[in-house]
Amino acid sequence: MDPVTLAVVRGSLEQIADEMDLHLIHAAMSPIISETNDCANGIFHPSTGETIAQGRYGLPVFLAYMQFTVQKVIELAREDGGFKPGDMWIMNDTYIGGSHLQDVQIIAPVFADGELFAVMATTGHWMDMGGNVPGGWGPKATEIHQEGIIIPPVKLYEEGRLNKALVAMFCANVRLPAEIAGDLAAMTNVFSVGNRGIEALVKKYGRALLSDCLNEMIAYSERQMRSYIADLPDGTYTWHDWIDNDGIVDQPIPVHLAITISGETMHFDFTGTGPKARGPQNMSRNTTLSSCYVAIKHIFPDVPVNGGTFRPISFNVPAGTLLAAEYPSPCGGYLDPMGRVIDVVFGAMSKAIPEKAPAAFFGTIGVVAISGTHPRSGNYFVGVFPYPGGYGATQASDGLVNGTPPQSMANFMSIEMSEHRFPVRFDYYRMREDSGGVGWHRGGCGTEYGFTAWADCNISAIGDRVDYAPFGIVGGGSAAPNKITFTTGDKTWIPEMRSKQDKVEFVAGDAIQAASPGGGGFGNALERSLAAVELDLNRGYISRATAETQYGAVMAEVVPQVAGHTRYRLDVDASAARRLQLAAQASPI
Amino acid sequence: MAGIVGIDVGGTFTDLFFSGAPGRPHQILKVPSTPQDPSIGLLNALKAAGLSPADLDAILHGTTIATNAVIERKGALCALITTAGFRDVLELGRRDRPSMYGLEGTHEPLVPRDLRFEVKERLDYEGNVLLALDEPGLRAIGEVLKQSKVESVVVAFMHAYANPAHELRACEILAQINPDWELVAATSVVREYYEFERTSTAVVQGYLQPLVARYAKNLAHKLREWGYERDIAIMQSNGGVAPLRQLGKRSAYIVRSGPAAGVMAAARLAGEAGFSHIITADMGGTSFDVAVVINGEPKVAEITNLDFRIPLRLPMIDVHTIGAGGGSIAHLDRGGMLLVGPRSAGAKPGPVAYRRGGTEPTVTDANVVLGRINPGSLMNGSDSTLDVEGAREAVRRLGTQLGLGLEQTAEAILAVVNQRMAGRIRLMSIERGLDPRDFAMVAFGGAGPLHCGALMLETGVSTMLVPLYPGVLCAIGCVYADLRYDISQTVEKRLDKLLPGELAAIIAQQREQGQRQLSESEVPIDVTTITHAADMAYAGQIHSLRVPIEPDWDSARLQQAFNEVYREKFGNTLVGIAVVIVILRTIAIGARSSAALPHSEAGSATQPTPSARRPVHFNQWYDTPVYQRTSLTPGMRFDGPAIIEQSDTTTVVEPTMSALVDSKGNLLVKVK
Repeated sequence: MDPVTLAVVRGSLEQIADEMDLHLIHAAMSPIISETNDCANGIFHPSTGETIAQGRYGLPVFLAYMQFTVQKVIELAREDGGFKPGDMWIMNDTYIGGSHLQDVQIIAPVFADGELFAVMATTGHWMDMGGNVPGGWGPKATEIHQEGIIIPPVKLYEEGRLNKALVAMFCANVRLPAEIAGDLAAMTNVFSVGNRGIEALVKKYGRALLSDCLNEMIAYSERQMRSYIADLPDGTYTWHDWIDNDGIVDQPIPVHLAITISGETMHFDFTGTGPKARGPQNMSRNTTLSSCYVAIKHIFPDVPVNGGTFRPISFNVPAGTLLAAEYPSPCGGYLDPMGRVIDVVFGAMSKAIPEKAPAAFFGTIGVVAISGTHPRSGNYFVGVFPYPGGYGATQASDGLVNGTPPQSMANFMSIEMSEHRFPVRFDYYRMREDSGGVGWHRGGCGTEYGFTAWADCNISAIGDRVDYAPFGIVGGGSAAPNKITFTTGDKTWIPEMRSKQDKVEFVAGDAIQAASPGGGGFGNALERSLAAVELDLNRGYISRATAETQYGAVMAEVVPQVAGHTRYRLDVDASAARRLQLAAQASPI
Repeated sequence: MAGIVGIDVGGTFTDLFFSGAPGRPHQILKVPSTPQDPSIGLLNALKAAGLSPADLDAILHGTTIATNAVIERKGALCALITTAGFRDVLELGRRDRPSMYGLEGTHEPLVPRDLRFEVKERLDYEGNVLLALDEPGLRAIGEVLKQSKVESVVVAFMHAYANPAHELRACEILAQINPDWELVAATSVVREYYEFERTSTAVVQGYLQPLVARYAKNLAHKLREWGYERDIAIMQSNGGVAPLRQLGKRSAYIVRSGPAAGVMAAARLAGEAGFSHIITADMGGTSFDVAVVINGEPKVAEITNLDFRIPLRLPMIDVHTIGAGGGSIAHLDRGGMLLVGPRSAGAKPGPVAYRRGGTEPTVTDANVVLGRINPGSLMNGSDSTLDVEGAREAVRRLGTQLGLGLEQTAEAILAVVNQRMAGRIRLMSIERGLDPRDFAMVAFGGAGPLHCGALMLETGVSTMLVPLYPGVLCAIGCVYADLRYDISQTVEKRLDKLLPGELAAIIAQQREQGQRQLSESEVPIDVTTITHAADMAYAGQIHSLRVPIEPDWDSARLQQAFNEVYREKFGNTLVGIAVVIVILRTIAIGARSSAALPHSEAGSATQPTPSARRPVHFNQWYDTPVYQRTSLTPGMRFDGPAIIEQSDTTTVVEPTMSALVDSKGNLLVKVK
């Protein structure tokens, strides 16, 4: 294979996938697609179903995610006599495709010169799939039917003919049928963009050469991934963490991972992970695999996204665990287990390559949802505030503050915009001081915000990481855990499940305070530069107590300023002495 | 009338373009920039051009000082005062990370946390006072700041766009405490909601203001010493100019003004050549800047990220940059795939051929190997010619790893870098729902005309236009830019809830402000144009659409205009959902006495005469004619392959293409 043609064809196929992304983002009705890019598009190998190229505008959560669906559909199509031009398959079956029922996938074959050349797939988040709670997210769901309708892999178009009965059937079972019909049209149109691009390539290079390129692209990526893995020290690296509870039963659920690196291959074994959750904190095996790839891609950002990347990695996700959800387990709360899987991959990898892996991030989706009828406009409103939080420190840097979850790129709402839309007033939106894990590099601080309602509304919350804080690595400290507090009437209280709370009826004056976790620290805090500790103190990233007890700092001068500011100066010699003393206490000879 | 000079001060070179009185030829030149005091390079350029103060009616100037100060964090020591509870808004941003993959890296806000102070005050979203401004508390902060080295203070309060009274009162108090401070009330820079974006924009202004004011003073002084006392205007990133004396108060508007000037010039000369949809392609040593112009209007971005978590919410010409230039390095990844850029050899060590110590093959080296760049050409500011053998050796080494011959490797490097640039162009046109085939491409910058022919083939663009002076197009843009002021204010109200005359009052006030700014500029203006637009959305939507409006329109007419724009963009309208008017905008443009763009004199020949021939590789070696740009006159036609040389760039006409010199002297290249 001529390496230049290969490089150019690869670029062109990625370009086509990008164009499919952009087309969908612009044409979708659902604001969650058009405004937060909650979608994915890709081109897949016609026989193995492996990813050839995926658009770079979609969210990380969809990385590696559609190939499982494509593989299933290829198998079903074979049983059905093979793909025909004009066919399109649709499905949202969580247990095959992953994530939750809101993510609908459509799959279509691409023919060139009358022969099957590739498969394309598109995913979009639909606003509502029916189910118990509008939008699909029900914190109290105990089976998937409460979360919405299930579309098994079926033909939406058969040789160009739309199955209208199917569309009528699912439109009758969702709350926003017009929007969903619009999203369906936008998603199916994406294939004409893809087809056009592939036709032009076929014309330029010929089908046979292009087919060789598809195979070679996968082989190239596999070589690349193998060379990354070969650089890692062989061995088995384990990490253990917990999910606080599933929102129904107040009992922690363990998540256990052993990564074995052997030559050019990696094996992920989740044996030791807890059983399926009663509540919606489950995810399918395929979503677990996707989560592992997201974590790996964060450690090696240059790794390409295609089927070859995944070949040298194998998995054992034991049946019956919350990471291999089966019918009828609910999966609507999958983002918290996803966060925990990403964390245990980081943790285990930190033992193999501490110079690359980050400490734990804030680790919870932490959504506060608000709904009601606005007293001035009379309109029904729904608002969602997903947590920002601190990132774990790395060997390269301190942790970021106010990060978005690793599986997402979505932003936080503007405070002013929120006050226009909802009958609430924000009391503060600020850095959560002293919440990053201590270390040679410090974890990023969490974020805290509070608002007070000035009219009736409903508030719900779902999150995690209250009982088990984000961990540090290489001797770094853990971060401050999540904390949600309600003030209703004259009572201030914490939910029974700490961070999970179904609808609370707010009246004017009721308030919520949310404090997200920071990120874990990296390395020994007693070795952090004193200049950095002094800066952290003066900027209020850490408290004086933390500086003294964790970082071994001794103050030379403490001058109160104005508006709560204090100016600190460290005594360098005394600090060095205290550090020696603290180090000796920590490891007595 | 004497002449006008445009000077674009870039990081490496200061470019000059002089448009003289009728009959006097245009002049262009490049001198090295002087980053420690950019005004020295500017004076050097004027002197090198042999210009005297009496030759000039106006000096128009683009500069990178503001951009560099932000990126390199070399601005002023600046303090920020916010509503209690919100001093961290600047540092937190809106929940994001620097790149999609990889969790490393932090953010260094322009104002560190220990210089951010909170004062008690609060407005609601309609601008009603919930909590009065705590004046004693503010004074106490002011007194402490007075003891520090802070040069500027930004005041940014929640919902102040709806009622700026607290911000203005706070600035008044601070001015009493220290009249030397540069004070910025956030809503005087952007009167729109979104607290982070507004605060960030105001902080950029406060961070730059002392620096830019000093620069303006120093420049005016140096030019006065030189003997020049007439107009000096500065290019803004919205594509218009503003007088130097207003610069201190408009410093946030000059960030990235050079690229904006290039786009304006490209739009204008392509318009005169009969093209209304264009893609501007500016390829230099390290980057490729691309922008889209529709119906002669450059696309404007409402918000631009200057750096991670440093958004600037001001209208700026939307220029996208990718790391692809002459210095981009070709290398193999772990799988053995050929990649070009984004790593660049930069100015130092530069391409191997430049003899400055570069060892890795670059795009320029590939062009040298293929004969596209004249092997005998002199490098800027040096007497030595290109190191052709060095370039060949470096490309050959890469080829050995790829299993390819020398020329094939060089072609491969170009194919890969062109594919990346073409991809960006396609996405920019597709993002706007347009087909690249409807566009012409204006190729400029030192490397643009070398590559844009290949980009035409990749993107389907029909015509490449190479202006007379592609190497100094940004300086040309400065000369032809109009005065421009953008004024905006958040309204955020449903159309059916507007009070009679409510919008008219805001528009009248914006008009008055625009007219005042134009007249205060004291720059001679031919025609004043004031236009209005409203950003509108269906209630509940986050993204709004820009709709041109007239001042006397009522709610029904506004709704109709919004529906038309919405249908055009999305193909439908959402019946039964109220329409919200989010922001009202006014744009005041003062067209300056328009000088003609540079053009070449007509000649009688229809065929150019080559100055030389040399072998150039396009999949095979062709004996290729080389033309000097100065010998090309309007009406000439010739077929590719051909090379056109001029002091500031080299143009490649591929074998499948033909070229025509239009009546203005632009080179138009098309596929045969």
